[in-house]
Amino acid sequence: MLPKFLYHAPETIHEALELLNKYGREAKLLAGGTDLVVDLRERKTRPKAVIDIKRIKELNVLKYEPGRGLVIGATVTYHQILEYEPVRKKYPVLWEAVKTVADEILRMRATLVGNICTASPAADTAPALLVYDAVVETASKNGGRKIPIENFFTGVKKTVLEEGEMVVSVTLPEPPADAKGTYLKAMRVWSEDLALVGVAALVADGGKDVRLAYASVAPTPVRARKAEKVFREDGDIREKIEKAVELAVASVSPISDVRASKEYRLHLVKTFTRNALNRLLGVEAVVVA
Amino acid sequence: MKNFREDLKYVGKPVPRVDSYEKILGVAEYTGDIELPGMLHTKLVLSPYAHAKIKAIHTEKARKASGVVAVAVGDDFPFRVGLYVNDRNVLARKKVRWAGEPVVAVVAETLEQAYEAAELIEVEYEPLQPVLDVRDALKPGAPLVHEELGEYAHSPAFHPIPGTNIASRFTLKKGDVELGFKQSDVILENEFMMPQVSHVPLETHTSIGQYMPDGKIKIWTSAQSPFTVRHILSVSLGVPEHKISVYVPYIGGGFGGKAGINFEPLVVMLSKMAGGRPVKLELTREEQFITAPVRQGLYAKLKTGVKRSGEIMAEKILYVYDAGAYADYGVNVGRAAGYSCTGPYYVPNVETESLTVYTNHPWGTAFRGFGHFEFLWAIERQMDLVARELGMDPVEFRLKNALLPGKTTPTGEVLREDAGRIDECIRAVASRIDWGKKPVAAAGKPRGKGIAALWKAPAMPPNASSAAFIKFNEDGTAELLLGITEIGQGAETALAQIAAEELGLPVEKIKVVPFRHTDVSPYSWQTVASRGLFMDGRAVQMAARDAKNQIFDIASQVLRVSKEDLVLSDERVHVRGRPEVGLELRQLVNGYVYPNGNVVGGPVIGRGFYSAARLTYLDPETGQGYPALKWTFGAHAVEVEVDPDTGMVKVLKLVSAFDIGKAINPAIVLGQAYGGALQSMSLGLLEGYFYDEKGRMLNPNLTDYKIARASDIPEEHEVIIIENPQLDGPFGARGIGELSMLSVETAIANALYDAIGIDLKNLPITAEYIWKHIQAKKEKIPVEAVT
Amino acid sequence: MLRSIKVVLNGVERTVDVEDHWTLLWLLREKLKLKGTKHGCDRGDCGICTVLVNNTPVKSCLVLAPEVNGAEILTIEGLAKEGSLAPIQKSFIEHSALQCGICTAAFVLTGHWLLQQGDGVDRKRVAEAIDGILCRCTGYRQIIEAIVDAARKK
Ligand SMILES: Cc1cc2nc3c(=O)[nH]c(=O)nc-3n(C[C@H](O)[C@H](O)[C@H](O)COP(=O)(O)OP(=O)(O)OC[C@H]3O[C@@H](n4cnc5c(N)ncnc54)[C@H](O)[C@@H]3O)c2cc1C
Ligand code: FES
Ligand code: FES
Repeated sequence: MLPKFLYHAPETIHEALELLNKYGREAKLLAGGTDLVVDLRERKTRPKAVIDIKRIKELNVLKYEPGRGLVIGATVTYHQILEYEPVRKKYPVLWEAVKTVADEILRMRATLVGNICTASPAADTAPALLVYDAVVETASKNGGRKIPIENFFTGVKKTVLEEGEMVVSVTLPEPPADAKGTYLKAMRVWSEDLALVGVAALVADGGKDVRLAYASVAPTPVRARKAEKVFREDGDIREKIEKAVELAVASVSPISDVRASKEYRLHLVKTFTRNALNRLLGVEAVVVA
Repeated sequence: MKNFREDLKYVGKPVPRVDSYEKILGVAEYTGDIELPGMLHTKLVLSPYAHAKIKAIHTEKARKASGVVAVAVGDDFPFRVGLYVNDRNVLARKKVRWAGEPVVAVVAETLEQAYEAAELIEVEYEPLQPVLDVRDALKPGAPLVHEELGEYAHSPAFHPIPGTNIASRFTLKKGDVELGFKQSDVILENEFMMPQVSHVPLETHTSIGQYMPDGKIKIWTSAQSPFTVRHILSVSLGVPEHKISVYVPYIGGGFGGKAGINFEPLVVMLSKMAGGRPVKLELTREEQFITAPVRQGLYAKLKTGVKRSGEIMAEKILYVYDAGAYADYGVNVGRAAGYSCTGPYYVPNVETESLTVYTNHPWGTAFRGFGHFEFLWAIERQMDLVARELGMDPVEFRLKNALLPGKTTPTGEVLREDAGRIDECIRAVASRIDWGKKPVAAAGKPRGKGIAALWKAPAMPPNASSAAFIKFNEDGTAELLLGITEIGQGAETALAQIAAEELGLPVEKIKVVPFRHTDVSPYSWQTVASRGLFMDGRAVQMAARDAKNQIFDIASQVLRVSKEDLVLSDERVHVRGRPEVGLELRQLVNGYVYPNGNVVGGPVIGRGFYSAARLTYLDPETGQGYPALKWTFGAHAVEVEVDPDTGMVKVLKLVSAFDIGKAINPAIVLGQAYGGALQSMSLGLLEGYFYDEKGRMLNPNLTDYKIARASDIPEEHEVIIIENPQLDGPFGARGIGELSMLSVETAIANALYDAIGIDLKNLPITAEYIWKHIQAKKEKIPVEAVT
Repeated sequence: MLRSIKVVLNGVERTVDVEDHWTLLWLLREKLKLKGTKHGCDRGDCGICTVLVNNTPVKSCLVLAPEVNGAEILTIEGLAKEGSLAPIQKSFIEHSALQCGICTAAFVLTGHWLLQQGDGVDRKRVAEAIDGILCRCTGYRQIIEAIVDAARKK
């Protein structure tokens, strides 16, 4: 049972912005609804108006252009992303991350932009967007902004978005030519779960450009810049990986909750980081067991 | 021991379920689908405290809200309900006993209005110290959950201890346990635990009640046991049973949670307040978790004495069941565990104490595998631990102590010759898993094998009974009326097959009436305890034979031969040896009409019943006696793979064997085996009520109360059906419903020792819990320190 | 706010009045009385409210009623055509792929959709496609077999 609200389905960004302006803080945008409808039901939000953006055609762009990168519009679903060949080829970290979100039925409805706008610490797509240095493009009555994803999240379920501002798309620049990457997600089951820990790792530039980002280990998804720096210097690759693992652990601050304890999460950060880097950097794993 | 008919036409065949079509078309009726003229809707206000005094309830604003018809508080209903112990309030009175207990019910014209008004209710509480652990509940001076325990009426089979939190104490003494320990070479003591878990029926509890001013009561409800609902309500309200009608359509999963009596008294009383308009309550998923009853948790302590040669000499057992706030049904879980306490093994000397203990947790009730899932976790882990201590193979150790026919059970019953064979089950699964052959680890992921056995008898009063009617129609087709409900287990289909076989009538020509209505359905005590196929099956057999006898009465007059010389087959009655001399069934079942208009006989209605034979109450001190209608045995073996980085377990292969006497419908048996096994795995590996320090459930939704999905099932599952017939079972059958969900998680835990050398003692064995044990082993931390 | 929307519901064009804050689930069950669609959580977890919207499975408890304006909706009531069962329905019966039945419509509709998605419908593919729907009774194995078998027979 949902509380009462007014439903609007604008057909242009302009109309949507008009409505956002009209209702101010009392408006909520609706994409796939897989977060919003649950929040409505649980009375976590009680907007006066719900603005469905799915009828705005210009928001459904999904386009990769060599050199310019990948643009994902605000209403593009996970299913569309998984089916779009260039994503799998050029942005494997994103593809793998998207593949882990919820279940297939939900992925046919839920959107990537919805995921980052909810700004849950567990947002599975955020680490991937972080390692690709994605840029969030917004629109508002006063014009739009281009916000680097690293500056987008400000706290648990909080973003830099202002009243009257909406996300139009997310752009992932062309990745480095030799980029490889992966997304590892710890779950309580094999089938479907929120991330206990999510690790995105990208390796490029012959192993000098390494990028690491995490979900579910801090109030916001985080990038581990200090750990990344290790790889710019020379030295033994195994030692560098161990150093990076340590620095990655130092850059996260997980909590204990009903899904996992802090200790387990820290351990997962360690082994997932190590496993991902070993694999991407072509290092034989040392069996420690 | 194959002395049953082999030439069966309908029994033993995978005939399609009789409820298939309605369910596949989406037209099957469930309680939540029912709409009645003038129906009102309910929203509950729940306690946020685990234990608190109710100081004041402010309902004025809600009463004035639009659409509100009635607002009820506990004192409006000054009576208690209960199956075995009469301890439950309809709405909390004076104090709340768990976080989630209903305190106020708001009834309105629409559900939306009920929600809105419920938000206007204010309740003032004075928090009391809660009891949140069964072990604490037993300590002297622990806060009492039920101060008035001494005043509660209860069945003579149970033993509450007033002034404590013990809702019932069951004790058992067989042989001389001290002597047994003296004769033992090795003695091993261990503790085990499991938390409370939820049935998670996908249809939440739903009930509609109507209490008309003339004193008639009507109930539409998703209840497993319509007759129990009627009986308890009758006793609690003092309304005669013929004034109460309980209607049960299809049920969207029960697993024991919808047995006994639940929210029916509430909706009935709300209807009375609303002047007799029907009142509906449908729990939300969150309410299903925190307000509906759950499976009780268990703390177990086992002390086992064995000879070097492997014979178990003595077993001292303590089971403490976490009943939560009310134990009206839960006390029988403690009792059932008490009399089955050793598992399927012969132990000459046993001393058992099985306590059902109140805490400020959600209230416990029946759950598929009734007490056995819980204690078999302890027993079957202990079997492996003892075997290891002896340096003996776990399969060999189990076989050495197997409870075979001729040996005595814990209650002193000599296991009958046709009771089924635990040894055959164990051997079958061991062979199919290639026991003894060490699996090879792949990609750094260790593998291991494990085994666990199981047994169970129905937990029910010694006088439980079932009845059935078979009603013939003019064209020779028939209706089968049952008292047992269809909760998905396939009872309707299997019982139709039994009727078909007895009557020589194709299953398609028998309609199982797809609802239960206490006004017209024959009696059946409860749909629980895997007793349905056996007891209702026997009742159906008797009803079919009764109908056949009536048909022969008519035919013998018309054909002028003695009844003994008649044969019924292929919808025709003919004279033995002379198939050409006979009559079609349809010419007989409504009375035979001669060409001149004379008629002999009349409409044929067969009636049958079955009452459990020769069961007794158990001795209150020693627990000796006859509790078991039948024993059913089984075993599982698994091969698992562990990811040591995460603790995630994959079940590569599961083999299950059950000696069910006879598979009346092999497709349904498979469904029970697959479904039960996954429930067992899901409960054991994933599920549990997790509470904060104040006793509030932290995971009351399906996001954080994980249950198994399609990608979580074992990669392979082989089911072996063993058919040593039970001579008094219908066509030799015993039933399987609950058996399949016992011990799978224990086999997995045993396999984890084989794979990585960790010993798990608490459920659920989540990936994180396994990982912690791997860590503890590496760092040489004692396992007791792992939480 | 009450508004009129147009849908093609089980093959029939209809105009229906909906409140803005209704979910599609509420619309189907409470207003259109199509009770074959079930619900078990109302927050996207159980999937037993799944119906096909524009031939795509969606969890109807997460969709607002006004959102489906102009859409084609298929519920379990619309699957059997002129008295004959769809192949997926037959397969569920043959494989005994249902017990209590409360989840059945969701699995049948999702299976029906999967059969139209081309080849490669093996057990792993089916498990992935149905991971969003819970069943507490069957252990999924016979459901998976029913869908794989229906795909094979296609
Ligand atoms: C069963 C289930 C499982 C889930 N599993 C996962 C999982 O594994 N991993 C995971 O990360 N998430 C998971 N989620 C959460 C959710 O599905 C995702 O976050 C999803 O991506 C949200 O997208 P949506 O299109 O449904 O967003 P919506 O619910 O439509 O919107 C989400 C929020 O963003 C706002 N918003 C939407 N679009 C815009 C815009 N253009 N500009 C500004 N604000 C906007 C909305 O107002 C709302 O507050 C799960 C949810 C459910 C119900
Ligand atoms: S009711 Fe829609 S997913 Fe559970
Ligand atoms: S058949 Fe009961 S939930 Fe699936």
